[in-house]
Amino acid sequence: MSALTEARLRAILAWVVIVLVSGPVAGAVFLGALHGDSPCILCWAQRTSMVLIALVGLFVIRYGPRPRYVGMVVLLGVFGQYMALRHSGLHLARDIGQGFSAAVFGAHTYSWSWFVHVAALAVIGVLLLFLREVAGAEQPHETRGASRFAFGLFLVVVGANALQAFVSTGPPPFMGQSDPVRLSLNPKHWVWSMDELTSPAPISLRGSWTVPQPEVTAAAADPASARGPLANLPTLAVSGWERVGVPLEGTLRGLARDSATGRYLAVTEGYGVFLLDSTTAQVLHHVALDGGFSIDLTPLTGAAFLGDTLAVVGTNKSWVLLRPDAKADAGEMWRRFRATDGGVSELGRGRFATVRARLQYVLSLAFDPAAQELITVSVPSERQKRLVVSRFARRDRMLSSEFVPRLGAGLAASGEHRSLAEYVVTGAAVAAGRLYAISAAYSTLLVIDLQARTVQAAYAVPGLQHPVGVAVRGSQVLVAQADGRIAVLERPAP
Amino acid sequence: MEFLNFLLILCAAWLVWRRPERERLAFGLLVASCLLMALLFFVGARGSIVPGVNL
Repeated sequence: MSALTEARLRAILAWVVIVLVSGPVAGAVFLGALHGDSPCILCWAQRTSMVLIALVGLFVIRYGPRPRYVGMVVLLGVFGQYMALRHSGLHLARDIGQGFSAAVFGAHTYSWSWFVHVAALAVIGVLLLFLREVAGAEQPHETRGASRFAFGLFLVVVGANALQAFVSTGPPPFMGQSDPVRLSLNPKHWVWSMDELTSPAPISLRGSWTVPQPEVTAAAADPASARGPLANLPTLAVSGWERVGVPLEGTLRGLARDSATGRYLAVTEGYGVFLLDSTTAQVLHHVALDGGFSIDLTPLTGAAFLGDTLAVVGTNKSWVLLRPDAKADAGEMWRRFRATDGGVSELGRGRFATVRARLQYVLSLAFDPAAQELITVSVPSERQKRLVVSRFARRDRMLSSEFVPRLGAGLAASGEHRSLAEYVVTGAAVAAGRLYAISAAYSTLLVIDLQARTVQAAYAVPGLQHPVGVAVRGSQVLVAQADGRIAVLERPAP
Repeated sequence: MEFLNFLLILCAAWLVWRRPERERLAFGLLVASCLLMALLFFVGARGSIVPGVNL
């Protein structure tokens, strides 16, 4: 292919500017004029970036492809893509057909902006690839034909944008808005505001996504239930202490008990999963999961028996299903386990998707055999202060229901601004339709009625140290600690 | 502020077309407009600089 001369480059660029200005930039103004569509403050910046790319094209048409023009258009292309992705990130994961403001040919304007910036960079790349070496400084080139039309069109279309910006955002110091009203030429409907500067949201790298991994140690920093969010709780004394009878590799992070067989399931840091006999003195099976295979499995934090199936969950609500299997395929399991005794098969792994508990980690897992549902309880963070009980169907692990428990009769907050969200549930188990949940913060056992969705009772449990799991054994509630000790509590009467 | 930014852009384009000897001023207006655009975007995105998605 023959090299691209500078004269031909400028002719091509004139048409690129014409297409860019008459397409997305003028189209945006038409959306406003015909449909009243007003850009938000982020949309304005994206539209401005497209205009600036066209302006750099005019510079090249006039002065030739100077390096600083090339540098500027690359920076604008990169920043424009960043803006489009940042803006689209607010809406891309919404449900089908949902988005912000109007859609054009099935895609919203912030998505089109991403396409335009990618296309601009691609066009620049192709033109530079075939551009013949050009001489140094030259006199400005004459504008005629398409070049002249490109300049004229640019001024008209950008002038129209300036008019829309005046109507929609006002003169300085007013600026664009997050939720602009529809465009109107009637001044009484104009909204000029500086709310974007005065609203209280702080500058942040990740915003509401700034959620650190939960730590049991930090959660248990204050074990005094008297300082907890519920007032005047009765005490449930530890009636005895037991200990996991075999040494486990890694600190204990969760414990469950199978009411049918009496076996225990323990998870430890380092992705260890241990199936123990009814005395906890013997390891029946053991695997160490590969936390990086297929999904990102954060540290294990909860376990539950689903009949013969073993369920474990990581703090990020990613789950793994296992089953004792004398015929486990060693080759297949190699990719899933870093270590195995050869008697366990992995049935699958995936992620629980929550709605109310979105952007929250969990530190517990339970199973309700009556409803055939897995249950997690969210833990609060500085950004997300909620205690949410999430239930997932065993059949497909999809969300069945979620609720924020209400306080039952006889329970009261210890202060005006205190709430259940201050509890950090680190272990949970279901028995007789009730969820027994231990909070490392304020060392409190919550008894949640799953039907009534209320905290039926709450008890101060003194003497616990870093509780990580709850299991039910007949009339007893067992609270496992990170050090492997197990506190035995007499299960309070309903 | 968006209105002001479009005025800067219009001035730059006018200089490039009708007063090409003022290239330095026009390019300065282009740079100023880019900075104002970025500033306004970060004002609008102050709650989260990085998209609210898993990285």
